[in-house]
Amino acid sequence: MESLHPRVRLLWVLSTVIQASVLGVIAYLVDRFAVSLPQTVIVGGWVVLVLLGVAHAIAAHRIWRFDLQDDALFLLRGVVTRTDTSVPYVRVQHVDTTRGPVERAIGLASVVVYTAGTRGADITIPGLRPERATELREQLRDLANESEATDAV
Amino acid sequence: MNRLHPRSAVLRVARAALQGGFFGFFGGSLGTGMLGLPGFAVPLLGLLGALTFSGYALARYLRFRYELDGDTLTVESGVFARQSRQIPLGRVQNLDVEQNIINRLLGLAIVRFETAGGSATEATLDAVDETEVKRLRNYVRTHDRDEATGTETGAADAVSEAATSSRAAHADLPGVNGSTPARTGDAQTADDFGDPVSASDTAERDQPDGSLLFAFDQRELLTYALVSVRPAAPVLTLASLPLGMDVVWAVLRFNATLSGASLNGPVVRWLASSPETTRLVVFAALSAIQFLLLALVVSVALTVIEYYGFQLTQADGDLRYERGLLRRYSGNIPMEKVQTVTIRENILMRRFGYATLAVETAGYSGGNQQSTQGVAVPLAPREEVYELARDIEPFGDLNFDRSPTRARRRYLARFSLAAAGLTAVAYAVDSLVLATGYWWLAALLFLPVVPAAHLRWRHRGFDLDDSVLATRSGFWRRTTRIVPYYRLQTVFVTRSPFQRRRDLATVGADTASSSSLLGGVARVYDIDEDTASELRDTLREHLTAHVAGLRTGDRVSDADS
Repeated sequence: MESLHPRVRLLWVLSTVIQASVLGVIAYLVDRFAVSLPQTVIVGGWVVLVLLGVAHAIAAHRIWRFDLQDDALFLLRGVVTRTDTSVPYVRVQHVDTTRGPVERAIGLASVVVYTAGTRGADITIPGLRPERATELREQLRDLANESEATDAV
Repeated sequence: MNRLHPRSAVLRVARAALQGGFFGFFGGSLGTGMLGLPGFAVPLLGLLGALTFSGYALARYLRFRYELDGDTLTVESGVFARQSRQIPLGRVQNLDVEQNIINRLLGLAIVRFETAGGSATEATLDAVDETEVKRLRNYVRTHDRDEATGTETGAADAVSEAATSSRAAHADLPGVNGSTPARTGDAQTADDFGDPVSASDTAERDQPDGSLLFAFDQRELLTYALVSVRPAAPVLTLASLPLGMDVVWAVLRFNATLSGASLNGPVVRWLASSPETTRLVVFAALSAIQFLLLALVVSVALTVIEYYGFQLTQADGDLRYERGLLRRYSGNIPMEKVQTVTIRENILMRRFGYATLAVETAGYSGGNQQSTQGVAVPLAPREEVYELARDIEPFGDLNFDRSPTRARRRYLARFSLAAAGLTAVAYAVDSLVLATGYWWLAALLFLPVVPAAHLRWRHRGFDLDDSVLATRSGFWRRTTRIVPYYRLQTVFVTRSPFQRRRDLATVGADTASSSSLLGGVARVYDIDEDTASELRDTLREHLTAHVAGLRTGDRVSDADS
């Protein structure tokens, strides 16, 4: 079982900070132009959201695991609701590596695995070093090619 | 390259001319009013609009060409941005045909080709005539069949590999006799279901080798409409009608007056003198009764219109349905493309031993975007439904394992919490707004908590058959989903905090079926955590075993050739 890079926590915290700040700006605009809100609510709300985000990021990193098993990619995740997902290599349609702006700033990358299914048709493994992401993508591609026997639908 | 039928061009040009004319006329009237254009500009702009729009429609018609050649359907379209699309016929999931009233008068039909990729229909031919529909349908079907026989003789070429693999998948499963053409059970099934006269009718009309699996007569249709009442039907219908909401308001105002004061008569006088609460209750009861009656009428009418003349035939491993009173729908569903089979029984159907059968492919599922997705048999005695389901996807007798009894305690806790929450809300609303003092009536919600928890628990379960996973859930509308192991996509196990407290877990088996209504995922709810992990591993093993079997099978047929 492989865990994510520890820096992924920073990524998650940063995205929470961005989201909380967007909400904060909205609250500020509401306060300015519509209903007046006490400043403690705005600042307090921002702080609470960020603290929750930090706690969530730490817990999520502790729980997140993935593993390339014999027949399937196995993922373990979820802070509140734990989910383990098995993606059989036969069912992999294609694999992407992606790097969003925040990810690039921190120096991480994600791998996205697509299946033809309805729910969880795209599964993201975040928080990988770029080399590892590329390597993982190639591993998955090879495993998918090896096991391909049907048209995956 | 073929063009669409000229009559459809006339229809489209006429429609575009009307639209354009109206648009120009409207713009012209605005212009004379606001910009001070001269009066003759109105008809002139109308004419200009009509000409532009119909010219564009004609250009689109002329640019739209399609061709069936070998393994491919090629469609070229577009006036300004030109598009050429090629669809491998082996990837066509289902072929649907729709005829609205105008099309029926003109003898035309709209043909849709669905494949698994993308969310929209891949190719729409709007419209072609009925002989062309027959030709397209037969071409796609015989194309499939040729490929299948191709594999059997070991002469499969590279192009057909993808298309045949799923068929081979069928043949590989234990308990399937042969890879499809001419199933032995067909003749008997047809006799069991409808009258032989209409069976031969269909055969003569459309499919020389089709056998009737199921047909509705008027009485059965009405029964179906009654037992499958959808309470939400009038809401959607009224919201989509131009004056729908106004009618609703008018009726509600009338109810308010009736339960209020302004009319005369003994009942009304009694009501007027009675306290506010009574009037409120009368108003609510009156509206509720009207709504339920309306729901019944609208729902029955909609179902009758939708399923009028329903029949299901089978020909060479294709299911073919036909239905509709005003709009006729028909379509082909290749059996080897079926992803999951779903059997639904609502509480009324269970009481009378009926069930509904639905099949889903990775395409648009039975060509029905509206209410019931991919219905293969709307209503038939349960045994017949199971027989047909086994014909599509062979499985043995299902013995459902229930969740452990602590799951029932979980539902009890959940429902009690919900009842407590609602009672609290009722108390809050009553003490702050209404002040009737009747908030404790909400506590009556605690009464059904125990039976509800028990019923939910009792109707949930799963069974691991030789070749399928079957899951079941739901009391009001019990849904049994049959998922063949070789159709699994991903398997996931989820545990919410409440489930973790009781060592329970939910297992989800995802398939590529496109049904948005059922979510495509078969779920086994609230089983023991260890059982859940075992189930997950078993499902994965079955899939792997199947794929391995498929590959050895391929090698054998390669060696043959």
